[in-house]
Formats: sequence, structure tokens, C-alpha cells
Amino acid sequence: MIGIVGNTALIIAFISSLAAIVLYYLSAKDNNRNFEQIANFLFILKGSLVFISIVLLVYLIFTHQFQYYYVYNYTSRDLQDIYLFAAFYSGQEGSFLLWIFSAFLVGLAVIKWTPDTYRTPVMTFFSLSQVFLLSMVVGLPLGLFDLGASPFRLLADEMADAPIFQTNPDFVPVDGSGLNDLLRSPWIMIHPPVVFLGFAMMTIPFAFALAALWKRRYHEWIYPALPWTLGANLCLLISIFLGGYWAYETLSFGGYWAWDPVENASLVPWILGTAGLHTMLIQRKSAMAQKSSILFAILAFVTIVYQTFLTRSGVLEDASVHSFVDLGLYNQLLMFILVITLVGLGMFFYRYKELPSPGNEAPIISREFIMFSGAFVMFMTGFVILLGTSTPIIGRLVVDNPTPPEQEFYNTWTLPFAVLLAILTVIAQFLWWKKHDAESLSSALITPTLLASITTIIAIILIDLDNLAYMIYLFAAIFALFGNGQIMMGLIRRNAKTIGGTMTHIGFAVLLIGFLGAAYDRPMVDEQTTQYNQAVLAGEVMDDDGYPVTRTIEFVQLNKGEPKLIDGRYKVTFVDAEVTDHNRPHEQLYTIRFEDTQGSEGTFYMQPVSYPMLSNSSPGNIDWTVDPEIRTGLLSDIFMYVAGSSLAEREIERLNEQTAREAGVDQSESLSEIGELGPEDQEEEDLPRLNIAVDSEVEYGDFTIRFDHFTNVTPDDLPENAVVGVRANLEFVHQDTGESYSVQPLFAIIEEEGEQYAFTPPEHIDPWDAHVEFLNVDPASEQIELQLDGIEATEVAMPEEEWVLLAAERKPLISVVWLGTFLLMIGFSISIFRRWADQKKREAREREIGEPLGFTEDTAGEIEDSYNGTPDSPSVETGPETEIDSK
Amino acid sequence: MKPRLIIGITIMVLFTSLALYNLSQSISSYVDFEQAKTLDGDRIHVIGEWVEDKPHGFSSEDMTFSFYMKDETGNTHRVEYAGAKPNNFEDADELVVIGSMRGEVFTSHDMLVKCPSKYNDPSEAEFTSVE
Repeated sequence: MIGIVGNTALIIAFISSLAAIVLYYLSAKDNNRNFEQIANFLFILKGSLVFISIVLLVYLIFTHQFQYYYVYNYTSRDLQDIYLFAAFYSGQEGSFLLWIFSAFLVGLAVIKWTPDTYRTPVMTFFSLSQVFLLSMVVGLPLGLFDLGASPFRLLADEMADAPIFQTNPDFVPVDGSGLNDLLRSPWIMIHPPVVFLGFAMMTIPFAFALAALWKRRYHEWIYPALPWTLGANLCLLISIFLGGYWAYETLSFGGYWAWDPVENASLVPWILGTAGLHTMLIQRKSAMAQKSSILFAILAFVTIVYQTFLTRSGVLEDASVHSFVDLGLYNQLLMFILVITLVGLGMFFYRYKELPSPGNEAPIISREFIMFSGAFVMFMTGFVILLGTSTPIIGRLVVDNPTPPEQEFYNTWTLPFAVLLAILTVIAQFLWWKKHDAESLSSALITPTLLASITTIIAIILIDLDNLAYMIYLFAAIFALFGNGQIMMGLIRRNAKTIGGTMTHIGFAVLLIGFLGAAYDRPMVDEQTTQYNQAVLAGEVMDDDGYPVTRTIEFVQLNKGEPKLIDGRYKVTFVDAEVTDHNRPHEQLYTIRFEDTQGSEGTFYMQPVSYPMLSNSSPGNIDWTVDPEIRTGLLSDIFMYVAGSSLAEREIERLNEQTAREAGVDQSESLSEIGELGPEDQEEEDLPRLNIAVDSEVEYGDFTIRFDHFTNVTPDDLPENAVVGVRANLEFVHQDTGESYSVQPLFAIIEEEGEQYAFTPPEHIDPWDAHVEFLNVDPASEQIELQLDGIEATEVAMPEEEWVLLAAERKPLISVVWLGTFLLMIGFSISIFRRWADQKKREAREREIGEPLGFTEDTAGEIEDSYNGTPDSPSVETGPETEIDSK
Repeated sequence: MKPRLIIGITIMVLFTSLALYNLSQSISSYVDFEQAKTLDGDRIHVIGEWVEDKPHGFSSEDMTFSFYMKDETGNTHRVEYAGAKPNNFEDADELVVIGSMRGEVFTSHDMLVKCPSKYNDPSEAEFTSVE
């Protein structure tokens, strides 16, 4: 029932967004306000319906209605509330819903804040993307094919062929298959929503660019689009950061970045969006770069759709750790990317001839040219990453079943671009704030160049850097740091509101320095292993079959309480391991002590965790998952996880036995029904035995067993055919209560048909309902062997070695990477406020004048003037055009 | 056409060809164990499934995790992975091991664990056992 309501809501939402496109189009074409109002109504109706369907889906999830495929597939009863909530977007269908809803909220803001001239055309293109997204979840049977995959479809429909539904169509599973344990992290509450907010916001510059092309208003669109592009970039940046941090901190991917297609899916649009931001800023200043602003705005969104296609169509199934599997949406996704690309680029090339070109080219030493070059380099960076990500498609030209490229491919190609970009940021910033010719620019750049050279040389010597490419890279990054830093110092003194852009450049420089750390990750092992690894790398180690060993060892085994010297400076001790139910059932918490022998870090403890992940898909199979522990340092982190331990092995055994027992319960019950199969005979082997000498005592379980002396048995007391017999006088003393009981079990030899047998009848020990049997006697040592039944041994501490296998890594400059990211985020945020305020001021002025700005000859002249060195008009650039680097 | 545009386009074309060439060098092909035996290099990608009923485990002596994997043609070989068992290993319905064949053993230094069980339709076989 609820499913039908939800599905209907989505179908109506789909139809209303189709209608909204038409009405926005008509309204934009004829400037018809009535149509616009109906279209807005439809847009809001669509959003509300999507919201309702989300609420319904969340309700189904919280009430565990496993007859719904989505609920069954992504949730289970044991999930905590936050993960139940997050489950609504943990699956592919739900994540589309989240995207649509984010885009709806963003669309509301567009309706509210976009100037009249652009509003309806922008909403036309905005709605276009909405229609496609909605088509993915609408679940509309259209005869030949189903349009979209609804989150409300029933399990029975999805798995119509499963035997269980053939026999029982009303079957509802008791529990769902659950959310992947790796997704059960608080990060899932924030990471996906930010991603989709970024995707949604990136639709706006795209829609603005197309609106500009349609309405032939190629200039003013950048003013309202700029804050949105910045916002989209900020969201993508935050989501990239969150994803990287999550991967690093919880998922033990071993690092924050792996060039995985899903990661690239946010990075490429971010890079192209950033390129677009720069060309928009050029355009703002000097009416140049209009073509590229439009092109980048289109491409940023096209790449979002393209990467959506790659990751969700199943194309990347083999290539990515976490791509989605095709839900039958391949054709729809293909249509989505084709239509968005054709409409976007089609309109661009249709209008290309008309697009304004600057009369004369900017000289090479000009902020326009330098910024444009920067944007061009960013575009190429995005392009090359896109190429790499596209290998499942384009790789087929070269080989069958292409694999993704080695990470080396990405690293090799992005490094020189990063160098170029770092240097360009400095030149562009110097030119941005002051007009220079070649000579004055060179003299202005002397200080940062000198400082950067000295610092780089010191750094090279300190860290023993011997790779030329890295040296150049490091220099470029430090140069960018000093160059932009110098600009920022000047800006803070004059007008702190304008530091946004410069701060992002500093963040970029810091990031670049941080990235270098990844090249120097090293396993933290003991001296012996280090030597072994060096020998391996030198090709000196052979295995038993004569093959050279190429794998270095990155683990250290520690026995409990026995410290080892690791990484040349830490005395590391395995202190303790315990099973806790703190975060998850049967979680193992290890305590490792580090003592810094060089003293600066003192003594600290690290507590990595591992836990069993009980998977529904393979019952009885326990999947051990590690939760790494990270010690964050200013210059380097220690990253550690437990690769194995004695405790883990015992736990695995215990859990396996437990599952085996649970699985075997039925069997044993049925056995006992069939008849007594003499459990005594069966179990005799397993009963505890112990040896005890005459006139001595032994502690066993809760008892002290004392063996006083033998008593010879007279033949009269013996059974008929017994040859000889002896009794042992035993005393059982309960250690806690002091209660004692004496017993004299018999050991006799019986002769039957010429053969001798031992006759050892069990004696009952009344107070504790136990038995003792006198199994054997060794006449030489006067030791006897007893078998006990009913007396449990206490856990005898087996002198078993407690060990742990640690994988620890020294990861330099991770904190620097985070710092760079934060600086970028802060810079972007400052810029958003500034550009937003600019746009508001502009709109106010437009209202005063009563006509759109930036389209008249006057404005064009004003912009030209500002380029020629006269002060900017206050609304355009509040920044100081003063010399900030002169002495 | 302005000279700068021409230069820009030339750079793009050169750059794209170079990148494409380099890309074609840095990708290889997913193969099976038999093909892997004939290939050189230690970045050979083999796709397969973990064979659950054969022994697997981590050896703390040579610090490798060994298991048996069945490739797409049905051949089963032992794989020695230089590392601890990756997360989600048991749940994976597909593994990609990267390394090279050493006789009958595939030594791997990299492993991709495809664990789409939660992004994916559960297999129908799974339902036969659900009561």
C-alpha cells in the first residue's frame, strides 16, 4: 500500500517535472509570467512529492517492511537509527532520490534569487536534469521496458524466479540483508548528502551557461552564477575531503586517495568547475574568456553526469572497489549523458560564431592570459583523469577486458600539471592585484623565488630527496606558498574580505606539499625486517623454488610483553588484547605501547580494533574486519591495524564452533531420540585424566585430591574371575567449602578365557555427583592414573604464547594535506560571501538604473578601463590596486 | 584563426595523443590463470572467485595470506597475497588479484575485493536458504 503511494508520488513528480520543462520553456520563450507561475508550482509540487516518497521510504525502512526489495537489501533489524535513516540513500535508487531532493532545494533558491532575465531559461535547463534523474527512480512500466527502478518495488517482483516465491508468493523475509558494515560509520550521515548537494549546485552554472547561449546574453550570467559555482566547488571539495578522510581513517584503504573511479567522479567536475571559476573571473574583469566560461560551466556538469554514467551503469564493475552494479538503467543513463552533452555542446557550437571575441588578444604578461593558461592546464588535468577513468570504454581499442590504468599513470600526468599550476597561481596573483610588465613582474617575483629556492634546498637536504621531479615539484609548491603568502599578507592589511582567492591558492600550495608525503609512506618494521626488505628490493632474496622474492614484509609480530624496536626509534610492546562489546559485538581491542627512545614523543598507546562482521550473504562465515588506529602527528601520522593475533585465532575457532553447534543442534537431538547410543562409551576418551603419586596431592578444578595409600583387596572382596585387585584411598576436598569426601576406587585384573582385562568400576562421589575411576597403576613409581567425570577443570592457563601481528605505517604529511584542504575550504567560503555580496550590490544598482548592467557600451568601457589600470568601479572589484609588494 | 588558438589546439592534440599512448601502455587486460602463465611482468590481473571450501589463512612466517581462487574458466590455483586478509574478503563475490604466476602458485601483491553485495541484487540462490 505504502509502496503504491510512494510509487505514484514519484510518477506524478516525474510527469510534473516534464510539464515544468515545457512551461518554463514557453515562459522563457515568450516571457510569459503566467506560465512561469504554473511551472514554479509544478516544480514545488514535484519537490514535495519527492519529499513524501523519501518520508515513505524512511518509514518503510524504520518499520522493517522487508517485502520491499530496497528495505530488504539495504537494512536489517539490528541497525541503529542513524544507519536506518542513512540507508535511504545507501542504495542506488535512494541516492538518486537524495540527489533529486538536493537539486530541488537548490532549485528553490534559484527561483528565489535569480534575476528575471535568466530565471525561466535557467529553470528550463535545470528541470531537464531533474527529469532525467527522476526517470531513474520512477519505476514506470512502458510496455517494452520499465522506465527506472523504483525504490518501492517488491522483493517478490524483483526475485520472481526465486524458488521461495514460486512456492509462497506472500513470503516476507524475517530480516534484511543489512547495511555493509563498512558503511556503518557516522560519516555516512554527512558524506553522501554533501556529494549530492555539490552535484545539484553544479547544475546551476550549467543551466546559466545554456540560458546565456539561448538568450544571447553572454556576459551577465556569470554574476549570479559565480557564487553558485563557488558553492558547488566548496561542496565537492568537502565531499572529496570527507571521502578521503573516511577511506583513510575507517576503511583501511591505506590512504586518502587511490584514483578510484568513484573518487575521480567528484574530482574531475571540481577541477573543471575551478577552471570555470577562473575564466568567469577573467570575464568579470575584462569581458574576455566568455567562450571558455560557458564551455567550462557546461563541461563541469557534463562530467558529473558522465561519471554518474560510468559508476552506475555497471561499466566499471571490474575497475572500481565501490562502483554500483547495473540496475537495468544502462540505457537511461546513456540517454542522460548523451542528451546533456548534445544539448550543452550543441548549443555552444551553434552559437559559437556569435560568441563575443575580444578585439585584440591579451598580452602574455597579463592576468587574463596567465589565468586563462591556468584554466587551460586545469582543463587538461581534468581531461587526463577522465581518460584514465574511461579505460573500461576506451581501453577496448587497445586490449580486450582492459584493466584500469596503474596509479602511476595518474601520478605521472598530474605532477607536471601541478607544477605548472603552482607557478601560475603566483604570477596570476601578482598580476591580479597590480599591473606589471615583464620587467616589473620579474623584480616583484625575486623575493618569493629566492625564499622558495632556499627553503627547497634546505628541505631537499633535510629529507634526503633524490628524485629530480620531486625536487621541481617541491620547489613549485613552496614557491606558490611564499608567493601567495606574500600577496595575502598585503591583502590582510588592506582589505581582509578579499583574501578568499589568495587563500585557496595557499591551500593548494599546502596540499601539494602534503601530497609529496604519500611518496614517502613506509612500513614501520624492526631492524631485521628492514634489512630483509632491503635485500628483497636489491633482488638478493630467493624463495624455495628459486624465484626472486619481490614482496617486502610490512608486518611485525609482537609477543605479549616482549618489546621490539621499530622504525629505529620506538620500543613497541604488545600490552593487552581483550574482547569487548563496546562498539560492536565481539570486538577485539588491542593495546600497544609505544616508547619513543628519542624521547620527543614520550610514551603513548595505540588501540587498533578488529571485529567480526557477520554477513548474511554467507551465513556461518565470519568476516574479520579491521578498524585501523591512527596517531595524528604534525608532520607524520602513524597508521596501524592488526593483521592477526592469537586472540583472533581463538575467537575464530570459538565462533566457528558456536556456529557449528547452532547448526548441529537439530542433529544431536534427533540422535538422542533414536536411543541411548551409550554416550559414556563415546565420551570416555574426552574425560579428564590425571596422574597422582602415592602420599601426595594434586589440585584439579575446585578440588584438592589427596592419594593417601593403597589398600590391598582380599580375594573375597573381588569379583569372581579377578586375579588381583587394589584400592586407592582418595580424599576429595573442595577448596572453597572445605567439604571433603573419601572414596576408594578399585583396580582389578580379570582373567577370562586366558586373556586379562582391567576392571575399573567408577566410584560415585556423592556430594558433587561426580565419578572417579582408577584406570591404571605404575608399580615402579607407585603412580596411579585416575579418570574424573563430573569435575570440571578450571581454565588451566595454558602457557600459550600471546602474539599480535601489526601492520604499522609511517605516513608523512597527512596533517598537511588536511590543512591544505581546510585552507581551500575557508578560501572558497570567503569568496562565496564576497561574490554573493557583489551580486546583491549589482542587483541593487540595476534596480536603481532600471536596466540590466554589464550589457551596455558603458559597462564594457568601464571594464576596459579597469584593465588599463584605472581603479575598479566599487561594485566590480573592491580589492586594492595598490602596490603591495614594493619595499 | 588566431595563432594562439592554433597553438592551443596543437598542444591539445599533441597532449591527447601522448596521454592516450601512455594510457594504452599502462593498462593491461584481465586474464585467466592459464594466460597469466604465458605473460611476463608482475602486474597481471586475474579475476576469479574465492574457493571457500579449500584452506585459507594468514601465515605469520612468510607474512602472506593464501587462499584458493577459481578463475573465470574454472581453473583453481593457490594465491599468495603479500598482506593481511583484506576487509570484506569473505563477502566478496569477485576478486581481482594482481601479480604473477610462479609455477602453479599466483603471487599477488595487490588485490581488489569486489564487494557489491550491498550495492547489488542479492543472488537468487541466497533465497533458497532463507526461511
